[in-house]
Amino acid sequence: MGCFDALSARQIAAGIVAGDFSATEVARASLDAIAARDGQVQAFLQLSEDRALAAAAKTDAARAAGEVLPPLAGVPVAFKDNMNLMGTRTTCASRMLETYESAYTATCVQRMLDAGVTPMGKLNMDEFAFGSTTDSSAFHPTNNPWDTTRVPGGSSGGSAAAVASGEITIALGSDTGGSIRQPASLCGVVGMKPTYGMVSRFGVVAFGSSLDQVGPFGRHVEDVALALNALTAGGHDRFDSTSQDGEQDFLAHLNDSIEGRSVGVIPALFEAKGLAPEVRTALQRAADKLADAGANIIEVDLPNMASAIAAYYVIAPCEAFSNLARYDGVRYGYQEPGCSTLAEQSSLSRAHGFGAEAKRRQMLGAYLLSSGIYEKYYLAAQKVRTLITADYRRAFKQVDAILMPASPTPAWKHGAISDPAELYLADIYTISNNIAGNCGISVPVCLGAESGLPIGAQLQGPVFADAQLLTFARALERSCSMEGVVAPGFSGRGGEL
Amino acid sequence: MKTLQQVLEDWEAIIGLEVHTELTTLETKMFCGCRLSHDDEPNENVCPICLGLPGALPVPNEKAIESIVMAGLATNCQVMRRSMFYRKHYFYPDMAKNYQTTQGPIAFVMHGHLDLEVNGEGAQERPDATVKKASDGSYVAPIRILRIHMEEDAAKMNHLGGVEGRIGGASESLIDYNRCGTPLIELVTEPDLRTPEEARLFMEKLRQTFLTLGISDCSLEKGSMRCDGNISLRRRGETTFGTKTEMKNLNSFKSLHDALEYEIRRQAEVLEEGGVVYQETRHWEPSKRRTVVMRVKETNDDYRMYPDPDLAPFDLSDEFIERCRARVPELPDAKRDRYVRTFGLKRDHAARLAGDPAVARFFEETVADADEKLAGVVANVVLNIVPAHPGVDVHQARVISELLAADAVTFAQAHEVLEATAGTDVDPETYVDEHGMRQSTDADALGAIVDEVLARCASQVQQYRSGNKKVVGFLVGQCMKATGSAGNPKLFSQLLVQKLDG
Amino acid sequence: MPLTREDVAGIAEYARIGLTDDELTEMTSYLNDAVDLLDPLLAYDLEDVEPTFHPIGDLVNVVRDDVVVAGLSLEEALANAGSKRGRAFRVPAILSDGGAA
Repeated sequence: MGCFDALSARQIAAGIVAGDFSATEVARASLDAIAARDGQVQAFLQLSEDRALAAAAKTDAARAAGEVLPPLAGVPVAFKDNMNLMGTRTTCASRMLETYESAYTATCVQRMLDAGVTPMGKLNMDEFAFGSTTDSSAFHPTNNPWDTTRVPGGSSGGSAAAVASGEITIALGSDTGGSIRQPASLCGVVGMKPTYGMVSRFGVVAFGSSLDQVGPFGRHVEDVALALNALTAGGHDRFDSTSQDGEQDFLAHLNDSIEGRSVGVIPALFEAKGLAPEVRTALQRAADKLADAGANIIEVDLPNMASAIAAYYVIAPCEAFSNLARYDGVRYGYQEPGCSTLAEQSSLSRAHGFGAEAKRRQMLGAYLLSSGIYEKYYLAAQKVRTLITADYRRAFKQVDAILMPASPTPAWKHGAISDPAELYLADIYTISNNIAGNCGISVPVCLGAESGLPIGAQLQGPVFADAQLLTFARALERSCSMEGVVAPGFSGRGGEL
Repeated sequence: MKTLQQVLEDWEAIIGLEVHTELTTLETKMFCGCRLSHDDEPNENVCPICLGLPGALPVPNEKAIESIVMAGLATNCQVMRRSMFYRKHYFYPDMAKNYQTTQGPIAFVMHGHLDLEVNGEGAQERPDATVKKASDGSYVAPIRILRIHMEEDAAKMNHLGGVEGRIGGASESLIDYNRCGTPLIELVTEPDLRTPEEARLFMEKLRQTFLTLGISDCSLEKGSMRCDGNISLRRRGETTFGTKTEMKNLNSFKSLHDALEYEIRRQAEVLEEGGVVYQETRHWEPSKRRTVVMRVKETNDDYRMYPDPDLAPFDLSDEFIERCRARVPELPDAKRDRYVRTFGLKRDHAARLAGDPAVARFFEETVADADEKLAGVVANVVLNIVPAHPGVDVHQARVISELLAADAVTFAQAHEVLEATAGTDVDPETYVDEHGMRQSTDADALGAIVDEVLARCASQVQQYRSGNKKVVGFLVGQCMKATGSAGNPKLFSQLLVQKLDG
Repeated sequence: MPLTREDVAGIAEYARIGLTDDELTEMTSYLNDAVDLLDPLLAYDLEDVEPTFHPIGDLVNVVRDDVVVAGLSLEEALANAGSKRGRAFRVPAILSDGGAA
């Protein structure tokens, strides 16, 4: 009946319920597509074929027994490799955790399993989520399915690429400074970072605890909304002190009209240095489409946004230093052999277990937290965070969502940017959202006029207005012609259902 | 070395204590649902959270926070409504995350005090000129408490290949994470203590208070209550502080006292010889009765503390605080005063009973509605007889008290009876009667025996009348002998004196 | 004042990250560049601004009941350990005076 990559999550789940195909057939189609495509894409770090087939068989048995199937029954899903799934390796794409086996399952993963998904495996990422290219994975880079000489973005590059190449239907990623929205934009898929606290962080290997948030990737806004339903089902997670009850039906208002609602744009951002002209054009077009759908486009200002990068590059490394201190080779993780003292073992295990960027971030954090320096930078950064949060609150009194790029440029070539500081500056459009804890989503708008590469538009919304944000995203998706698109080089390769 | 008293004439000792108490009476650890370990096999009670596995997150134990608020209320602290947990970083594998979750500048409870009543020999440590003493030499020392904060305990490490399990010379160490994450409260005093006795009393009072609250088993021996002392000396009259040393391994009241005494004398000797006291951590060796250097602190450790982003801040509500207040039972001082007031007990008896909640409970059940005379006997029985005979129940203690109060048995017999009946359901009175131990209190019958003994012992009577009053003891013995120990010695003594003087 | 190689070596020792000489040079220049990036923070007058350590709005007092939750078996607990002995995790000598491990 065709390739499974043409189907949305809702269509797959409905097809299984209707008996058009079985969950096992879908799982085999996904495995087949992965076999045919992932040699070039390299999105997966670990394929869990047995687990996938066992889960699919369970779904099929439940259907045969006449049970009501959960909403994502049989949908092929994979997880960024910083999410614990008991019995799988969770490597964070690091030598440090190359052989680490999860002894428990993350809440977000468990909730997806509870929604009936078929778990296909674990996806590549920048080591410990430090990066925006996925090139810092200790094992291999991931290639952008639209042009395999280019990066998929990061740090959730494996998640974006696996969905964009049609290997799977939904992926989970995590977003600390744009790590879902930027790769979604670069790979031409939908990627959402929900409000901080909406999705439990329990079991997701921490990078920046006050910034990290888990979210879904899909080729349809509706699939992302379905995934968010699953991720928030059950409300507050009692294993995450910072999680809140965000449970609701995100499909309920998905197709509402946005007529008469308002979308903010920040003129200065459209003029920012480093913004590729085709990205500017694409964003202009997205604004026009939203206006065509009846939204009022209003100019807003986030005066302190220019300082967001500075605040982020204090808060994130400090939290990272602290979160990564536990990797000392004692309880788990890489242990340098033949050391005669503990200090030697710790220092060499960490020297050889971590890649360059992981070491840089920890060193920066350890410096910034040291006494005397802490007050100068860390405290200042958390105060500027207050100002940025207040800016957003003011802006969201005027508008329901703010439109901006997710990345200043489309996907770049592997190795094209090597200076870490230059890479940091590319996060300008995404990190203020993590600083404030708002929700954000990247929706593919078009292919760049010059590059032919996908370009996403980012929409940001107030905290816990995730459902409303999805409504705007859906309106934008409807007016563009990128919904459900699989990267052309991979579409239909393997995966026959 | 000079004696402590000599040193303290010239020098003022400035002592502060840091007391760590594990909340052993809770079911689970501070941030995870692991059962608290008591004598479990290594790594029996661990989970992703207390092992610091990647992705694990902490969630605070509400009961632990109730406990620390109760501890604060019981030590006259102010409950700080807003506070946060912080991460304190140091690389050492007894902390699974290489940081300890503790509190920052604002602890759950702060700015309290305990007032110590220092009396007896211990009061003499403090030179009279430095404090206002009562006529009996006793004085009151108000000790301020800076803060009590909440944190998690570390794992236990077992050092192999060195001497006596010490870290020095060890070739490897084994780690047991059972204790890692146990709720721990750390109390820090202001440097208000001036003598080793005051420090000992503070620790004792704190232990009594926490035991009464029921928040810990407070075992110094097992390490569920641990004390470090900071100590410096300054010349009498000076206002600036000298360099302090930190004392570790003060795991008994005696060690605490003796280590501080040693350290005061050591520092005085160093300073008087023109030497310098270094800021260092010293370990008390009880067997050698000395402190030795553990490590020299050249700079203050930089723990890179910052608020833990994984833990929401606290803003304790009035309701929560009142709930904690309602759970604070009668504290030892109030209980002591009530015993004195209600039962007419001697103050030191009352204090000893009130100091240990188990003992106090036993006393109150035993004393029930007794009058003052019987209550005094009950107090004596509970403090001095019962502890020697494990298994004595409230009924047995009450019966033996009544027998003693009626002079029907002697103190020595009371011990004998309880030794035989403890842990059984035998009524002590039945035992006394069955064994013919009841002391006769029939004055006529006893009087006849006294007359007979006085007639027989003319020379002792003569001695008595010429001033040797001690001879009464011999005569009582003769009376007892004549009755086969069935007469009451106290009554014999009274009758003898009556007749001899009459 | 920029960070010197010695400063950076001190941080690396504290953070237990062994660095070769070349890495130390590179790290020193990275840290100085990264710190330069933070300059915008120093331009603010923040005296009257409260810090936001937790982007969770008014959420406070999140606690759990004192109830036992099943943990890991010994096998699970030790499964990923590089060195263990019996029921315990093992580390080499903590002080350098330890016997040859």
